[in-house]
Amino acid sequence: MKIEIKNYCIRCGICVSLYPELYAFNFEDDVIDVLRDADTPELEAQAVSSAKDCAVAAIFLEK
Amino acid sequence: MHLKTDIVVMGSGAAGYCAADAILAKGKEVVVFEKRPFQGGVANCAIQFIVVRNEKAYQDKAFQLLYEYGNYNGNPLVIRQYVNNSWRTKEFIERLGVKMVAADLVPLKDLGSPERADGFPPAINVHGDDMLAMGRGKGHGGALIGLRAMRDIEKRGGKYLLDTPLTDIKTDENGNVCQAIGVNNKTGETVTVDCKAVIICAGGMMDDPEMIKEHTGFIYTDYNASGEGNVTFNCFPNSKQTGDGHKLAWKLGGAVGAVSIEGHDMVPGPGLVGPTPWIAFNEFRIMTEQPYCFVNKNGNRFLDESLSNNHMAINRAIRNQPGRVSYMIFDDDTRKHLEEEGVDYFYFVFPAEKLTDIRGQFKEVIEVKKNKHVFMADTIEEICAQAGIDKEGLKATLDRYNGFCDKHSDDDFGKDPKYLRPVRKGPFYAMRVFCGGYNTMGGIRINGNMQVIRDDSTAIPGLFAAGDNVLNELYGNPIIAGLGAAYFAMPLGFAAGDCACDYIDQL
Repeated sequence: MKIEIKNYCIRCGICVSLYPELYAFNFEDDVIDVLRDADTPELEAQAVSSAKDCAVAAIFLEK
Repeated sequence: MHLKTDIVVMGSGAAGYCAADAILAKGKEVVVFEKRPFQGGVANCAIQFIVVRNEKAYQDKAFQLLYEYGNYNGNPLVIRQYVNNSWRTKEFIERLGVKMVAADLVPLKDLGSPERADGFPPAINVHGDDMLAMGRGKGHGGALIGLRAMRDIEKRGGKYLLDTPLTDIKTDENGNVCQAIGVNNKTGETVTVDCKAVIICAGGMMDDPEMIKEHTGFIYTDYNASGEGNVTFNCFPNSKQTGDGHKLAWKLGGAVGAVSIEGHDMVPGPGLVGPTPWIAFNEFRIMTEQPYCFVNKNGNRFLDESLSNNHMAINRAIRNQPGRVSYMIFDDDTRKHLEEEGVDYFYFVFPAEKLTDIRGQFKEVIEVKKNKHVFMADTIEEICAQAGIDKEGLKATLDRYNGFCDKHSDDDFGKDPKYLRPVRKGPFYAMRVFCGGYNTMGGIRINGNMQVIRDDSTAIPGLFAAGDNVLNELYGNPIIAGLGAAYFAMPLGFAAGDCACDYIDQL
């Protein structure tokens, strides 16, 4: 599963706090980095949750 | 790029989007400069909204409460702008489809009631209806409001220039604001906007340590307090509140007003709070709210700890202590009390009636997360050695304090006896509590028409301001202010939008 973050992401870091295996702050480029594809069932579940948890619905998932 | 508009707004946070909304509602054109690549400011982390009803008696009472709260140091005309425009906040949020839930609908007769204040200053927390904006997922309602506001404003013809800091404001030969200039971060392209007025809604200066030191006397540190500083901020990381609006207003001759920290004491991370506000990893935030024994580095108590959840009060008290730090300390009996009987102060942000496995939580934070501000030891001597508290001072204080607990009377500060819990039986638990806040407040001076003023109180023609960068107009000159909130910024944004439109109509 591929993860995309739309540009209206507010960089609040909820996804970083809750799903550190998938997301990290990138202060240099002022973005949230997606660290990897959600390529295990556990990571897929995390990715789905992160999309639901996002404050502005900026996380999109593609199988 | 060269554009032309009626009014430019600097910053797309709560004050900015409300100003833009008001400008469009009056049939004028607006361009919003936003230096970040996305919409919204610190108000993206807003949850609570106090709303003053659109009723004269209600507004008059709210006005009286806030004016008195600042010891009559605030600007009454700006306070009036706030209370009279507050009702528009709820209407605006609901128009955007964000649900508002009433936490406490406060009738006129109960405005300012301490019983409804949950320990917060009544003038701040009970000067209107207490509403919560419902966010999406784990997010803050403010984030959704900021996004939908941008979409709504753009749909109505307003223009957002994202990733484009406003770097200069020009005036014509008569001193009237006539142009705003920015530079796109990605392309490097200069953007020039001819306009008749600019509204500065650029937020605070919490991400500029030099400005904080110069204007507040505090020394900035990060949310883990990993440096030598004595103030930490509970806002989005890298929020880039760097006083850009202040610098432009001052460059154009605006008066330098008082800047204060918007008080919200904190035990720093790691392992306690995430870099994102209100994402707590455990129950430490709830523990910090409790009315237990607080001491300074010398081991001395310094306030009636019943005030422990009155964030402005405890921040002011901590500020007056050596090194501007404090420590909360409790013993194993109190640990059991919190787990078995429950909390003394219920904190609506992290609602929990009983805490769980406090010892395990301390162990985890100390040993796994390597937090340097949380301590647990079998003896007072060990706690003092770990935390850097004067041992003899603390022992003497606890002898006296435990005596007060035994006789149910606090002879020093008159603390409510029901909160007098002895610190006697190990293991002991302690947390280093710092001054903190969501942002800085104030620094730009305005008049009652939201115009930026000079030292002689004359207005700079065409220059207006709203939001955190002017909020000390509500309070006067506090060291630690009551609260810098979206619900204060938004009405002032509406007012600034209205006033700027009136100004250009008269040109």
